[in-house]
Amino acid sequence: MEESSGSATLEGLWQAAGFAPNRAQEKAIRHTKGPLFITAGPGSGKTRVLLWRTVNLIVFHDVHPEEIYLSTFTEKAATQLKEGLRSYLGQVSNITGRQYDISRMYIGTVHSSCRSILNDRRFSRSRQRPEAPVLMDALQQYLFVYDKRRWDVLTRAGGWDSGANQAVNSIFSEGSGSMSRHAAVTECIALFNRLSEELIEPEKVLPRLSRNRIRPLFKMYARYRELLAEENRCDLSLVQKAALDVLKGNKGTENVFKYVIVDEYQDTNTVQERLFFTLAHGWKNICVVGDDDQALYRFRGATVENFVQFAQRSEKYLGKRPRIVSLVTNYRSQDDIVRFYGKFIDHNTCDWRVSPRKQALFRVPKKLDAHRQTSNYAVIATEPTDPASASDEIAGLVERIIHEKKVEDASQIAFLYPSLGATAVQPMIDALEKRGLKTYAPRAEHFLEVPESQAVFGTFFHVFDKPEPSEGFGGRDYNAFFDWVERSHLKAGEIIAKDRSLAEYVADCREQVSVAALDSQILTTAAERAGWDPEAPLDAGVMLDVLGGVDGLSSKAKRGLTSRYFKKYAVMRQELSARPLTLRYVISRFSSLDWNVLDLFYRFSGFKFFRRMYDAATGGDEGPICNLGLVSRYLGYFLDLRGPIITGQSLANQGFQRHFFQSYLFALYRRGESAYENPDDPFPRGRIPFLTIHQAKGLEFPVVVLGSARKDNRGPQRVETMIEPLLTGNREPLERIADFDKMRMFYVALSRPMNLLVIAHLCSRGNHVSEPFKSLLQEDGFPRIKDFDVSSLPDARIKESELPKTYSYTGDYLFYKRCARSYMVFGRYDFAPARTQTMFFGSLVHQTIEDLHQYLISARTSR
Amino acid sequence: MKKDKSQKTDIEQWLEGAFQRNYHRLRIESGHALSPEVREAARQQVLFYWRKLRELAESITDTEVRLHLPNQKSKGNRKFGIEGVVDIVRESTRTTMYDLKTHDPDYVRKNIGEYEEQLNVYAYIWSILRGQPLTDTAVITTQFPDSLSEAIRSGNPSRIDEEVRKWEPVIPVGLDPSHVAHTVEEFGEIVDKIESGDFQPPPVSVLQEEEIKGRSFASRVCRNCDIRFSCTSFRQYSRLSPRESKRGSMKFILQEMSDDEREQRFEVGLT
Repeated sequence: MEESSGSATLEGLWQAAGFAPNRAQEKAIRHTKGPLFITAGPGSGKTRVLLWRTVNLIVFHDVHPEEIYLSTFTEKAATQLKEGLRSYLGQVSNITGRQYDISRMYIGTVHSSCRSILNDRRFSRSRQRPEAPVLMDALQQYLFVYDKRRWDVLTRAGGWDSGANQAVNSIFSEGSGSMSRHAAVTECIALFNRLSEELIEPEKVLPRLSRNRIRPLFKMYARYRELLAEENRCDLSLVQKAALDVLKGNKGTENVFKYVIVDEYQDTNTVQERLFFTLAHGWKNICVVGDDDQALYRFRGATVENFVQFAQRSEKYLGKRPRIVSLVTNYRSQDDIVRFYGKFIDHNTCDWRVSPRKQALFRVPKKLDAHRQTSNYAVIATEPTDPASASDEIAGLVERIIHEKKVEDASQIAFLYPSLGATAVQPMIDALEKRGLKTYAPRAEHFLEVPESQAVFGTFFHVFDKPEPSEGFGGRDYNAFFDWVERSHLKAGEIIAKDRSLAEYVADCREQVSVAALDSQILTTAAERAGWDPEAPLDAGVMLDVLGGVDGLSSKAKRGLTSRYFKKYAVMRQELSARPLTLRYVISRFSSLDWNVLDLFYRFSGFKFFRRMYDAATGGDEGPICNLGLVSRYLGYFLDLRGPIITGQSLANQGFQRHFFQSYLFALYRRGESAYENPDDPFPRGRIPFLTIHQAKGLEFPVVVLGSARKDNRGPQRVETMIEPLLTGNREPLERIADFDKMRMFYVALSRPMNLLVIAHLCSRGNHVSEPFKSLLQEDGFPRIKDFDVSSLPDARIKESELPKTYSYTGDYLFYKRCARSYMVFGRYDFAPARTQTMFFGSLVHQTIEDLHQYLISARTSR
Repeated sequence: MKKDKSQKTDIEQWLEGAFQRNYHRLRIESGHALSPEVREAARQQVLFYWRKLRELAESITDTEVRLHLPNQKSKGNRKFGIEGVVDIVRESTRTTMYDLKTHDPDYVRKNIGEYEEQLNVYAYIWSILRGQPLTDTAVITTQFPDSLSEAIRSGNPSRIDEEVRKWEPVIPVGLDPSHVAHTVEEFGEIVDKIESGDFQPPPVSVLQEEEIKGRSFASRVCRNCDIRFSCTSFRQYSRLSPRESKRGSMKFILQEMSDDEREQRFEVGLT
C-alpha cells in the first residue's frame, strides 16, 4: 500500500527527521495487519520503530489514536513515547496541516492502563466515574497486611490462634521458622501477588491441597481478598485481574482497540498476557516487542516464556501466527562492548537447551552486530584483587575521566550492582568520596542512611525521646536499626550544637511534647472526677470553664479552653446539632500538639543546616534536595496512615512513639530499598549515580562500572516451588531458572554503556566473580585499567533531550510565575505538602462538576 | 412545569451522591481529609453552580477537553509543549470555551489580564487543533462573592435568592490573538528557567504588595506555603513587617497560625 497522506509520505518524514531505518526496522514499521513479534536487542532503536509504526497507523492508515492501546513497562518510557509521538505527529501537521489529538490515547504502564480501564467511562454506563477500588502500592500493601488487627484476621483464617508467625515462616523456610511478623508478612505478600498474577482462584485449588502444608496460606490468601473487598482496596497485582474482569464482563470490549502494542513483553506475567490477548481478540492486531535476554522481573511474576513462545501463543489465542522481525543492529555501544555481551550470553557455562537432545532453546537465538565500529578497547577490568584495591583503582580512573572532560557531568558515569546491599558498594563510595567525587545512592540498601535522612530523623529523636531497644528482643535487623537510631541521634546532636536557634527550637518542641502528655492526663482525670461521659456532647457553658480551671494545667491549654473564640465556636457546633463536639474531642483538642512530623520537617528547613540543602539545589547540586523530597514523602505517607494530629494521650502512653519509630521507621528500615519511588526522579547533576541493575534497565550511560560481577545461585525462590505444581504450560525448569536469571541480569548491565565498560574483578578471600565472568576475565590479554588510555575515550556530551517536554499552563507555567521557590520544591522535586486543604478543595469541586457535565451529556445523548 | 421541578431535584440528588463519592475517593487516595466547614463550602459551590448555571451546564458539549500545543522551542533551544484543560459549548453558530476556576471572582476581575493570556493561548490551540475558531471564551468562578457567602451564612432564603440572582460567576474574557505569540515566548522563557534550575523566589517587594481586599502576596500565597521558613524572601519579609518584627524572632515565624486555621486542623485530624 502506498503510504502517503496529503503531500506527506513516510519516506519524506523519515528524511525530514534524519532517520534512515535499516531493513528490519522498516519491515516492522510497515507491518499493519495481523500479529507482529519484534525481538529487539539492546540499543537497536526499538522506541523509534514503535513510534514510527504508530505514526504510520495514525497518519497513513486512518487509525484513531483512541483505537490504539500502547503499553510499556515504566512511567518514564510511557512519557517518552507520548512526547515522542506528539513531536512526530506535530512534524506531520507542519507538512499536511492535519492535526492529531492523542490526549485520549492509551499510552502508559500496564498498571496505569488497568486503572484507566477501571475508570474509563467508555466501559461504564452513563459516563459516571465507575466506583473503582483504591489502589495500594507495595509499601501500602505491606503496611495493610502488617497491621496487627488484619494480620490476626488473616492468620486466624489460616487456622492459627497463636504462634502464627513462626508457623507461617516455617512453611516458607521448610524448617523451624523465625518469630518475625515482618518476615511472615513479606513472604505471604510475595505469594499472594504471585497467585493473583497467575489467576489462581483459592476456592478452586483448595480441594486439591487438602493434605498439603501450604493449604493454610491459600486460606489466608482467600481471606486477604475478602479484606480488600470489604475496604474497597486493591493491590497492584489484583488491579490487573480486576481490569481483566471488566473486559470479560462487558460485551464488545475486544473490539475497542484496533491495535494493541506492548513494549518490554518479556516482563509480562500471566494475567497481563491474558489481558493483552483479550484486548486484541477482535482485530487480532497485536504487536509485542522485547528482548528475552533482558528479562528481569521474575520476582514480580514475569514469565519470559510468554515472549519466547509468543508465536505459539498467538496461534493458540488468536488463531494466527505472527510475523517475526529481529532488530539486531546496536546503535548505542562501541563494537567491543557489543561483542563482549554477545560472548557473555552465548557462553558455554550456561546451557540454554530445552533438553540435551533437542535443538530448541529457552531463549530466542540472535546474532547481534554493532553500528559503531572502532578499534578501541571499550571493556576493561581492574586487576584481580580485593574490594578496597579495586575501588581505589576504579576511583582513580573515574577521576581521570572527569578531569580530562571525557564526560560533561559526573552523572554520566553509573555504578551498577546486582544489589546495593553488596559489601563491595561502601568501599567504592568511600574511595570516590575520598577523591572529592560526590555520589548519589538514595537506595544504597537503606534510604535512611543518607545524610539528609539521618539529620531529619536524628533531630526528631531530640524532639521526642529516642526509642530504646526492648530487652529480650534481638535479631540482626533489630540491632542494626537501633544502631542507626544511635548514629542519627549523635549526628543530629552535632548539628543542633552548632546552631543556637535550632537548639532553642528543639528544646521548645520537647517542652511542648511533655506539656501535651501531661495536659492530657490532667484533663482526663478531671473529667473522670466530675463523672462526665467523654462521649457525651460537650456542655460548653459548664465544662470549658471547669476544665480550664484545673490545677496544674498548662497556660496554653487554659487559655484555649477559656478563650472566647473557642466558646463561640463550640456553641456554633452545638447549634448545628448534627455534629456537636464531644468532651473527648475537647480534651484531645487542647492536649494535642499544634504540629505533626511533616510540619516539623518543614520548620527545620528554616535553620541553617537544612536551609543550605535547599540553596544547594539552585547551585547545581541536586543530591540533598532529592533526598529531602523523599524524606518528606515518607513523612506524608506516615500521616496518611496515622492521621495528622499528635495527641497528648498518644504521647503519654507512648503510642505515637511506638507507631512512628518502632513500627513505621523500623518497617522502612527493614524493607531496605524504598518502595516509594517517583519514576520521574532525575539523576541529580554533579553526582555519580549508584544503581541496582534493575534500576538501570532501559537507561544508557557513556561510562558504566559493574561494581560487582557476582550473583550466587541460591536456587529457586520458595514461592516458585510452592506454586509450580499449580501451573500449566511449557515452563523453564525450576532448577535452572536461577542460572538463567543471573545471565539475563548481567546482560542488562553489560549492555548499558556507550563508550566504556569497567568491571571490578574481585578476587580475594570471600570475594569472587561468577561465571561466565570468571572464564572471560581469565582470558589472556584481557585489557586492564592500567593499560587503558583515557584519551582514547570519545567525548560524551550531555544529550539535550531530543523529545519535547509538556508543561501544564496552570500546573507549571502559572505555578512557577507565582513563586519559583515553591515550584522548585513541590513542582520539580515533588515534596509532600503539609497543607493540602486548598488543593483537595479544588480537586473535589472540579471533579464533581466534571461528573455533572458528563452526566448531563450522557442524559442528553441517550434521550 | 411539575415534571421540570422533579427533574431538578433528581439532579441535585445525583449531584449530592457524586460529591460524596468523590470526597470519599479523594480522601482515601490522598490520605487527607477536609474539615466539615470546608467540605460544606465545597458542596455548596457545586450545588450553587448547578442552580445558577443550569442552562450553561446543560449546554456543555465537550468536557475535560485536553488541549495540547506541540513542538514549541524556547530561546534556550529547548523543545516543549503546552497543555491545558477546558470545557466547550458548541452550538450551531457559536463555540464557547469555558475555564472553570475555584478562584475569588474579585481577584479574577482585578487580574483579568492573566486570564486573558491563558484563555487566548487555549483558544489558539483549539483553533489549530479543531480547525475551527472560537466565538467566545469565559472564566467560570465557582467561589461565591462576599455578599452571597454572607447571605448563605445568614440562612435567609430570600436574601440568598436575591444574592444568587445578582451573582455573576461567568466572567467573559476578550478574544485577542495578538498576544498569543508573546505569551508562548514567555512560556518558553520559564521552561528555560525551570530546566536550568533557576528557582529564585519573588523579591520582598512583591510579598509586601497589597493584592486584594487588604491582603498581601505574603498573606495570600506565602502563608499557605510549607516551604516559607527556608525562603530568603519570606524571612526578610517577616523581619521587615512592622507587626511581626516586634516578635520578629525565628520562633514567631515558626509558630504562626490563625485561630480558624488551627481549629480547622483539629477538626480534620481528630474527627
